[in-house]
Amino acid sequence: MEDPEHIPAINRTQPPAFVRETASPGESRALAFGIAAWLLPGLGHALQKMWGRALVVFFAVGLLVFAGASMKGNVFTRQGTDAFDKLGYIADMGTGCFYLFARSIETKGADVSHAGGDYGTRLLATAGVLNLLAALHAYEAARGHKA
Amino acid sequence: MTALPPLDLTHFQAFLLFAVVISVAFGFLGRRRPKDRVKYILWSLFLFLLVGIGVGWAMFPFSH
Repeated sequence: MEDPEHIPAINRTQPPAFVRETASPGESRALAFGIAAWLLPGLGHALQKMWGRALVVFFAVGLLVFAGASMKGNVFTRQGTDAFDKLGYIADMGTGCFYLFARSIETKGADVSHAGGDYGTRLLATAGVLNLLAALHAYEAARGHKA
Repeated sequence: MTALPPLDLTHFQAFLLFAVVISVAFGFLGRRRPKDRVKYILWSLFLFLLVGIGVGWAMFPFSH
């Protein structure tokens, strides 16, 4: 039988553990904005009425993807054989729906036999990483952090 | 979609495109006030160019 004298006092300053572990509505909203920002560059900022940032992210990522694919850069696929291919695929997937745009431009495939194709590969990876950074920024802004 | 003609940029043009686009994006994401954004864009663009050209020249002796 439990001694009533030794029952720990309820800590009223902290919510119960099951409440703390559940994501708050604000957190879920921020996560949704982050995912939206990844899927369509600039959407996460547009949903928060940050129009300037939304336009800049959309056109910056779009321009880099367009230039990279037009230069016949390598748009990596899931069937990568080595670690660099897989990292390239992750970076390219960072562009969200623009990945499909890049694939649609490069109908004849990549050509990295000349330097221009290699530069294009880098521009495509840069676009993906930039969009991931912008998505993280949109997520942090939605959480109320100074942005 | 019809295939677009390939874009043929030199190394310096591709580098300049990268530097300008990333500087503008960083400026808008990193700063809020227009004046601060312009200063940040110009400063980061200058540093991109300085480091890029500097590293290029630093590698020059190894290519000969």
